[in-house]
Amino acid sequence: MRKPPVNTIATDAIKAWKITAWIYVGILWLVTVGLAVLTYFFEFSNWFTVVALVISGLSTYLFVFLFPKLRWKRWRYEVFDQEIYIQHGILIVSRTLVPMIRVQHVDTQQGPILKKYQLASVTISTAATTHEIPALLDEDASELRDRISALARVDEDDV
Amino acid sequence: MFNQKRLHPAAIFFNFIKVLRESLFALVLGFITFKDDSLFYFILIASGIFILMLTFSILSWYRYTYRIEDEELRIEYGIFIRKKRYISKNRIQSIDLTSGVIHRIFKLTKVQIETAGSGNGAEASLKAVKRSEGEALRQELKTASTRRAEVHDEHVELTSPSLRITFKRLFLAGSTSGSIGVLFALMAFGFSELEQFIPDHYYDSTVEWAIGLSVIFIVVLVIIVLIFLWLLGIAGTMIKYGNFTITKNDNELFITRGLLEKKQVTIPLKRIQAVGIQESIIRQPLGYVTIFAEIAGGSMDKGEDFSSILFPIMKADEVGDFFNTFLPEYAAENQDMIPLPKRSRKFYLLRSSLPVIIIGAGIGYFLTQFVWVPILLLIGSLYMGVLRHKDGGFYQDGQRLTIRYRTFSKNTVTMYHKRLQAFEKKQYLVQAKQDLATMRLSIIGKMGMGKHFIIKEMDESHTDQLTDWYSYRK
Repeated sequence: MRKPPVNTIATDAIKAWKITAWIYVGILWLVTVGLAVLTYFFEFSNWFTVVALVISGLSTYLFVFLFPKLRWKRWRYEVFDQEIYIQHGILIVSRTLVPMIRVQHVDTQQGPILKKYQLASVTISTAATTHEIPALLDEDASELRDRISALARVDEDDV
Repeated sequence: MFNQKRLHPAAIFFNFIKVLRESLFALVLGFITFKDDSLFYFILIASGIFILMLTFSILSWYRYTYRIEDEELRIEYGIFIRKKRYISKNRIQSIDLTSGVIHRIFKLTKVQIETAGSGNGAEASLKAVKRSEGEALRQELKTASTRRAEVHDEHVELTSPSLRITFKRLFLAGSTSGSIGVLFALMAFGFSELEQFIPDHYYDSTVEWAIGLSVIFIVVLVIIVLIFLWLLGIAGTMIKYGNFTITKNDNELFITRGLLEKKQVTIPLKRIQAVGIQESIIRQPLGYVTIFAEIAGGSMDKGEDFSSILFPIMKADEVGDFFNTFLPEYAAENQDMIPLPKRSRKFYLLRSSLPVIIIGAGIGYFLTQFVWVPILLLIGSLYMGVLRHKDGGFYQDGQRLTIRYRTFSKNTVTMYHKRLQAFEKKQYLVQAKQDLATMRLSIIGKMGMGKHFIIKEMDESHTDQLTDWYSYRK
């Protein structure tokens, strides 16, 4: 049994994910409120509102409060000279090996939410797959990008 | 050596057909809109557009030239904006010749030139040149790369082994192709579309007439339709794979196929990512298999499958010889697969039968008289589950990994360590408790997309063993 990778991602990732989740859950809540208003004016059955409330409440708990923490806890990565080792997943834990010589390019990305916490994500692409390390401190991310890019510059045998 | 040349004038015709096809929708739409009031004007405008399109086709043929110069294929084209595309010989990966029916009447061929770059179409496509010219072009463009390869390759075979499909086999391939299902779906779809165009009156009376007929007549009718579709499937396979011939030249496979449209495809051995043997559910009991390969890059042709067929049908016991001749590095000596553990069978049974149970329960509840349909389907899906579990497995030897899995057809795929782009092990809680895990292998597929092979519920020690095998960090 292989040991899991050692590096965790930035702690602020949880906050960033929470905000993102709030945006999506917010839409659900808007729909729920809309439904409640419609029910009030058009005298629908109250059941619709109740079901919508339960769905919104449950998703808020899961996606805003539970999953970000679990996801962060699970997310690990480690970059070796020969390969990149990633572990992630809440219910399904997945561990991926990406050899350095297969890496085609590395990107860093930063959206408005990540920027608020000085975070960035690193995307590693091979000829067949892409792998994302979601939230690292800004300087860690660019350092990692440069490091992988340098390591990937190995003489490549035929593809 | 090659002077600046134009395509065969037949290219004008192909150009014209192409623009016509693109604007056909607009023309038909226009016709329907104007057919009552201003048909005359519409025809006037349409003929104007026709002439314009014809001029455009002639001009684009006139401006399209190609030549080989300084080890490069140089193409210049474009009516208003002049475009020049230079492709270095060294970068050319494959040159495919395709002759459609019209091409064949005039002894022409289409030349498609591909480089490693990913994308939808070929890098260069000469729509119509004389067949001899096409062959010469290929010979000329290939020389650079083969000469280079010969330096590396010490033992170049002098004779090129070749295998051609027999008519009997071709017929067998057609009759077991299973395309009958696809055709049936297509026909059902076509009919449901057609329904809108049949006037209600006729439709209703036809339906009434059909309902009034005896059950036996309907059954006979269905059987006739099925036989017709089956024959259509045979014809389709015959046309597609007729005269299928595979030849091995020193570092590439060369495939010729097609009864009406003749296609010549080159597959450089270097670009083969994985080689597989497929035993479809119809062919497996008869002992016949299909050989396919996953090839990196390249364009995707219409009607082409994701995997490239290396040989459409052969007996299972001929596979060894085939590989020894054409792809010795993929030849299988000992293929005792390590099967999936017994305890993973319940996962397979549950996964294959769950959708049937859910849908079936609904049907059984609402349509009690049809309850036998879901029960039959359930038995079928459970059997599929057993088969999927039984056929899952892997075999690793040195740098080579062979995996076997079944969706409907049983696939045995062999690939090399260096072809794998990423390796993933997945596990959820229930699997972890039983020491099982899912493995996902990624290789390069067509059009620069990834192709992934997934084997579910392997023994965890085996996934870990393969992880160690794959890891570059020893």
